[in-house]
Amino acid sequence: MTNHSAVHDESNVLGQVLAQRERVAARLAHIQRVVAVMSGKGGVGKSALTANLAAALAMQGRVVGVLDADIHGASAAAMLGARGQRVVIGENGARPAIGVADVRVMSMDLFLSDEDAPVTWGHPGGLAADTYVWRGTLEANVLREFLADTDWGELDTLLIDMPPGADRFETLMRLVPNLSGALVVTIPSQVSHLVVRRAIAAARHAGARLLGLVENMAGLTDGEVTHELFPNGRGEDFAAEVDVPYLGRVPFDPQLARTTDAGRPFVLEHAESAAGRAILTIAAAL
Amino acid sequence: MKFVCDDCRRAMELVDNTPSEDGGSMAIRYTCPNCGRSISMITNPGETQMVRSLGVTIGHEALSAQPEPMAIIRDALAGGSVAATTGPEPMWTDAALRRLAAAPTFVQGMVRRLYTDYARQKGYTEITPAVMTEAREALGMTGV
Repeated sequence: MTNHSAVHDESNVLGQVLAQRERVAARLAHIQRVVAVMSGKGGVGKSALTANLAAALAMQGRVVGVLDADIHGASAAAMLGARGQRVVIGENGARPAIGVADVRVMSMDLFLSDEDAPVTWGHPGGLAADTYVWRGTLEANVLREFLADTDWGELDTLLIDMPPGADRFETLMRLVPNLSGALVVTIPSQVSHLVVRRAIAAARHAGARLLGLVENMAGLTDGEVTHELFPNGRGEDFAAEVDVPYLGRVPFDPQLARTTDAGRPFVLEHAESAAGRAILTIAAAL
Repeated sequence: MKFVCDDCRRAMELVDNTPSEDGGSMAIRYTCPNCGRSISMITNPGETQMVRSLGVTIGHEALSAQPEPMAIIRDALAGGSVAATTGPEPMWTDAALRRLAAAPTFVQGMVRRLYTDYARQKGYTEITPAVMTEAREALGMTGV
């Protein structure tokens, strides 16, 4: 008869995976609200909106962090003026960068060696052709490390800037089962609505609470007059169709593009503009 | 995965593991605690890749391993990462703090971090207005 009492998994892989989850939970215990900013559609201004919402929340006295979950298109550090800082590994984890308005930032951008460096992974088997086997798992674990290993400290709100597409959202929900909710960003175009509708369905399927829908680039404002950019998409009607609270429309302001490129969230210097007021209102609703 | 010594009907125990030079496979050695018979299992690259991408370790090192923060990112990022281990925090002199206080409030935290990082990289133990000036020129900062 086999002595099964001696059979034990010395590596305890399951135990290690469970310990990883526990480290995420322990870190998030110091964060009051975790909000994912998602779209499904790329190019809707989701990252710029995230940076501005973070700054708006900081203006309202909150302690805020931004986790840039867009591993291959990381931009949060640049938009919050935090590029050039180094991630320092300390006793309590990896110290996040400090952006404008003291927003704490963790992004893949902070790990890359130079301006042109793409995010590419060493092949753990020496076989580049097999990357499909492990890339998704590895990048899901990068997101886990961002959550668990960053020394966020005590935060009122952690905003997670999600990448385009809906697949990473399910990973996030597994890591953060008590996610406060997701903010959905669209632009007023039929194509955007088509893609965002699917992302909303995926988020619901993953069990996410949808906090609201923001219509970004809703017209072009020159400070006095707002010109329609997409005549066929009304965000308010779309929000009703998909049964998500409508939080408002943010007009495109050329100053927003300029300040974002300069690493200074627009809302800090243009809080009285139409776009600035809209961002502050949405932040207050969060 | 576990192995049983057929002669002794005992579960074999893991002895060690040895990664191949290309990192694509791993030899994992087991021995019977009763008769001492040994066997080795060779993993295939796909298995090794999957395990590594999970951020877990296999074998004896797993028993004592407390994972390093951001271990996957720092180990797997091709070309290496620029994350640094912490060193002594440079001290800010009163004069430097007064100069920092002249910067707009909403950028003070960010600017403080940039100067601190610069001083640490240079091995300076304190941050003075002269260090701030040097850093400002080196980093191409304006307005602060």
